[in-house]
Amino acid sequence: MQKLATREDLETTRRQLLLDRKKTDKTIIICGGTGCKASRSQDVIDAINQELLMQEMDATVNLRVTGCHGFCEQGPIMVIEPGNIFYCHVTPDDAHDIVSRTLRDGEIIEKLLYTDPVTGEKIRTESEIPFYTAQDRQLLSRNREINPCSIDDYIAVGGYMALVKVIDSLSPEEIIHEIKVSGLRGRGGGGFPTGRKWAECYEAPGDEKYVICNADEGDPGAYMDRCVLEGNPYLVIEGMTIGAYAVGAKKGYIYVRNEYPLAVKHARLAVQQARKTGLLGEDILGSSFSFDVEVARGGGAFVCGESTALMASLEGKVGEPRPKDVHTVVDGLWHKPTILNNVETWANVPAIILNGADSFASKGTKGSKGTKILALTGRIKNTGLVEVAMGTPIRTVVFDIGGGAINGKAIKAVQTGGPSGGCLPVDKFDLPVDFDVLYEAGSMVGSGGMVVMDESSCMVDVAKYFLTFLQDESCGMCVPCRLGIDRMLEIITDITEGRGTMEQIDLLEDLADTVTQTSLCGLGKTAANPVLSTLRYFREEYETHINDKKCPAGVCKALIEYSIDPEKCTGCGRCKQACIHDAISGEKKEPHVISPELCQKCGICLSECKHEAIQVK
Amino acid sequence: MLHYVTVNIDGAIIKAPKGSSVLEVAIEYGICIPHLCHVPGLSDIGACRLCIVERVTNGRSQVTTSCTLKVQEGMVIRTNTDRIKRLRHNIAELLVAEAPNSRAIQDIAVRCGVKKVRYPFRNSNCVLCGRCVRACAEIWHANALGFVGRGKNRHVERPLNMREEFCKQCDYCIQLCPMTIPPCDGPMKPGEEYLCGKCESQLMITEEVPDSCAWCRLGEGFNCGRYAGLKAVR
Amino acid sequence: MKSLQLESILKGRNSQPHQLIEVLQDVQESYGYIPEEAMREISKILGVPLIEVYRVASFYKAFKLKPTGKYVITICNGTACHVRGSQLLLDQAVSQLGIKPGEVTDDGLFSIEHVNCLGACALGPIASENGSFLHHMTPARLRKFIESIRHKEKEEGEHAKASYEGRPGDYAAAASPR
Repeated sequence: MQKLATREDLETTRRQLLLDRKKTDKTIIICGGTGCKASRSQDVIDAINQELLMQEMDATVNLRVTGCHGFCEQGPIMVIEPGNIFYCHVTPDDAHDIVSRTLRDGEIIEKLLYTDPVTGEKIRTESEIPFYTAQDRQLLSRNREINPCSIDDYIAVGGYMALVKVIDSLSPEEIIHEIKVSGLRGRGGGGFPTGRKWAECYEAPGDEKYVICNADEGDPGAYMDRCVLEGNPYLVIEGMTIGAYAVGAKKGYIYVRNEYPLAVKHARLAVQQARKTGLLGEDILGSSFSFDVEVARGGGAFVCGESTALMASLEGKVGEPRPKDVHTVVDGLWHKPTILNNVETWANVPAIILNGADSFASKGTKGSKGTKILALTGRIKNTGLVEVAMGTPIRTVVFDIGGGAINGKAIKAVQTGGPSGGCLPVDKFDLPVDFDVLYEAGSMVGSGGMVVMDESSCMVDVAKYFLTFLQDESCGMCVPCRLGIDRMLEIITDITEGRGTMEQIDLLEDLADTVTQTSLCGLGKTAANPVLSTLRYFREEYETHINDKKCPAGVCKALIEYSIDPEKCTGCGRCKQACIHDAISGEKKEPHVISPELCQKCGICLSECKHEAIQVK
Repeated sequence: MLHYVTVNIDGAIIKAPKGSSVLEVAIEYGICIPHLCHVPGLSDIGACRLCIVERVTNGRSQVTTSCTLKVQEGMVIRTNTDRIKRLRHNIAELLVAEAPNSRAIQDIAVRCGVKKVRYPFRNSNCVLCGRCVRACAEIWHANALGFVGRGKNRHVERPLNMREEFCKQCDYCIQLCPMTIPPCDGPMKPGEEYLCGKCESQLMITEEVPDSCAWCRLGEGFNCGRYAGLKAVR
Repeated sequence: MKSLQLESILKGRNSQPHQLIEVLQDVQESYGYIPEEAMREISKILGVPLIEVYRVASFYKAFKLKPTGKYVITICNGTACHVRGSQLLLDQAVSQLGIKPGEVTDDGLFSIEHVNCLGACALGPIASENGSFLHHMTPARLRKFIESIRHKEKEEGEHAKASYEGRPGDYAAAASPR
């Protein structure tokens, strides 16, 4: 890795790297993202490495460990070129066959192929799998091209060409104009027009300015930013470099949440390599532009995803938000003008500069342009990270990409936007993924989390879950957030435990409105959304809890009963053995019975029973 | 040399020193905006949210705390709209439900129009207004008190529970604390908390002439700056 | 030994209050928690009031003010895991170990943490033990997993502790059959 002093050096290096790539005609791509790692992909990687050595193919086969491919449910994932062959659920034991049969002889191992859950057919390539075909993977598709620990890979596939274009031919005003015209809006949740943010910072007085990448992705159930930062950190750094050039900043920070050690590692490595090659530091690529980046870790606080709290944390203080009567683009980090953008927002910048704003704006709707990465999880067949064009209906995402419900239960709702968002019922699934439309409907795109719920989810419990989360994460400074969320939780807990009254619903709505209007920061201001959206669309569930003292989904412990269906029970005794509260009695081969007084509804018997005899009502 | 800007608060055109907050300017002029965590001379953090006002720009109004809002030329502020009254009422209700055993907070609740409390009473002995913490840090720079923990666990504590090391025994924390002003009839028994409302008679005078200070004894409860100033004069 | 580690962490950071969080993270990694003496030293060297060090250490979840158990069972309570029943996992751990999240068992073996998303949502519900992820967990599986650790600890004594440290994968493999 030598230093690239000029744009010409970069171009020469790129050409050489492309030639080097042609030397090996076979490539085996293995996903090393956190999801596949949890499924032991590292063991697969080690096994393949060993096999390649043993079968003396290590010189002709390129083994590339990449970031996340998005289809985490099917991990560990492997793609083999040539042929774009897609293998899933790979184990270390398969390594020998993969190397000797597929790599050496081109033979496909049927059992490792993906099976279409609807048709039962085996599918050979990634581009034929419905999960992938319905997506528009502008950002995610790059992950398989590069090893996130190698800046050479990034350069080889065209990285930093956008920065070269900026240095060669674009002024700060032109860059900002391009971003404005593209219609790019913040991907972290706020959806604020990025071009306008940059323009305001550019115009703010002062020589010392900062750019920050917000990788404090705290929404539970969302891991898009982790995937981009782990899998392609250079894309983010290139975006930040362009942004710094545009507003006149010399220093940038990537603030990564503490719970993402791999993302921190890859980001730090990427910064180091960029410095070594001269793509960060003084006089980048022979221009007079200097810029450097530091990677900082969060301490474990959701509230630090809020821009002023994040800046406080960078300054070494507690993550307490500040009032934003003066915006952070004027008075931000160290009271200097600062632009703070989300990982995905930064990742979109190079393509906008390279291909032009119109290309980006050609996708999406009038108010929401480009593509959005969503973390599709919950009670559907295909879960993972997906990228779709803005304007795609929720229905497409849930059914065409997500594959519909698991276990034959009916899908009931989708929760979007994390704890700041809301729940939308099935009859709203024709709504598009669009900032303004979802906001009007009482939810939001947010950072992109999309959790699908079926009839086994209780919507009152969902509201309770989010309130509990927010209560835990609130910084506690201001009264409406600290006491308001607490009281809302108190009321919802009453409702889930059978003590609710209809007057409490009115109080809940009044309180929710106050918390929304008077909280100091975004956490408090959006804290009431889960409550308000579930009240709006699932009011009957609240009423059933209050008036009938029943939980239709069978979740709220105080309102349900575990019982054994005597017709299904075979008397095998597994539940009785497993029950830690001695609540089950029965003779061998006779139907067993659960004692309601002793039962604590812990769910162990339910997970042990192989005959589906345990009922929850 | 002091620079002045002109602001419009509730229709009154006021000349205000640049750098001062809307709350300070309003109280000085006699427009009483209820507040709790603000103490003249200490920094403002906007924690209690009682001092909220509506800031009107281009026909749109934004709710924000007047203690953290610095005056700017041409600013238009409304302190007592129906919307603000209702929001302030709800915040005061939350406060008094949390800590009814303080006259200051009872007074504030009544001043903000709370007639009944819709939540079960709790008996906290701290509302986290931060007056003690800021006094300790900013007056004698002792830093013997501070906020510790987060969210529901947030509380005021001495560093590692050691008092002697840092405390300068100035007693400001005790003087400023709203909880050290017991209700007129003494502390309430647990389970028997109620909204006192005895100072309600004073409220009518203030409502009739909203633009001027009634020297309403309610100020005694939360150490209203104006009350303290007027008391000194009289 | 203790103060040497701290000294090297604080080296070159004199009078740099904005380094507070980075320093605390290094201390947390080295010691497993933030000792009181460390907080005093940090306050002195960085030039931050002690109450502020204490405040920051108590604000962020990453910093523990007490040592954790030998086996830290972390249950993910993210939305995706929640709709797949992670609450039941937490209840199981709490009732089986007799402690609440953030506490340590009397024998110092176990502590429970619950986090708000580990980022492996497609594989939930997730429980993790010292960095090793166990996926698609059920209360019954978790029960067996904890019991297996207890069993090993009792049986093998000191020898087991030494050999465990080198192979964290074993217990995890035993508890989550594919």
